[in-house]
Amino acid sequence: MIAGLALAAVVGFMVAMTAVPASTAISENDVGSANSAIQSAFVSTLQAERSGGNVTSLVAALNSAVQLVEKAQAENSTDPAQASRDLQAARQLGQSVTAESAGVSAAGSSLRQFVFVRSVVSAAAVLVAAALVYVYGGRVFRWLWVRLYGGYAVRLANG
Amino acid sequence: MDKGTATLALVVVTILAVFVAVQPLLPSSVEPFSELGMLGPTQEVGGYPTSLTIGQQFLLYGYVGNHEGVVSYYQVLIKLGNQSTVMSNSTYANAPIVSTYSLVLDDNQTSTFPITLSVGHAGTDLRLIFELWSFNTTTSQFGYTGLWNQLFINVTS
Repeated sequence: MIAGLALAAVVGFMVAMTAVPASTAISENDVGSANSAIQSAFVSTLQAERSGGNVTSLVAALNSAVQLVEKAQAENSTDPAQASRDLQAARQLGQSVTAESAGVSAAGSSLRQFVFVRSVVSAAAVLVAAALVYVYGGRVFRWLWVRLYGGYAVRLANG
Repeated sequence: MDKGTATLALVVVTILAVFVAVQPLLPSSVEPFSELGMLGPTQEVGGYPTSLTIGQQFLLYGYVGNHEGVVSYYQVLIKLGNQSTVMSNSTYANAPIVSTYSLVLDDNQTSTFPITLSVGHAGTDLRLIFELWSFNTTTSQFGYTGLWNQLFINVTS
């Protein structure tokens, strides 16, 4: 009987040593790390916008990350495991926004170049058309007038 | 059309063409600004609580608008001050923070969000102070924008 109790104690001790530890609350450092990822993502988003990129989806993702951090802080005392998961999700969202912002920035730069070239080409086309009208406008106008009214006969009004 | 008139017309067309071509490339000339507002429980101006008991929860709505020309990262800090708390559009309140709300807004975007608060101690003419802070990418910190609102409340036990 004593041997059985000792064996049970040893087995119980071994199980306790290998059991998953209880969830621990998130710390200020954890929150700071998530906020740091969000702030870096915001800086990248701002740069992408300055390059002419459409950052609507990035802004939505950043707000989701911010709300996850606030949710994690609110539920930390009641459900630390969920708080930890939310904080991790927020951190990952921030990192994905940073990664995605590079593509948004490149697309914005290309679009800005296209708009610039289109503006220059449009202005040049208008100038060429104006120059052609200036040089050949009179000739074309006279040719059209003859085509439209050349067959008209002129007669005296009184007899 | 004589030569002089034709030349004048060509000059006018040239100026107009350059003016139109440059328009998409010019930056906005509107002065940038942010907005901060506090709305009552029905999301309208008014209906603000004035008398509360300790721990009693009440609902307000915060309103933030971004017209800075770029995406901005805001924090709304809600502090509990009293009659001696000093603050202005250049000095933020030196008072304990009751709650914090963070949000990112694109240019010309606004947001209205619920704020649930309670006060943990009694007092007369307590001031709920709402401040708008904005993330500064140069300092990597939030900075006070100078925009603030306040709500006077009396809290009894």
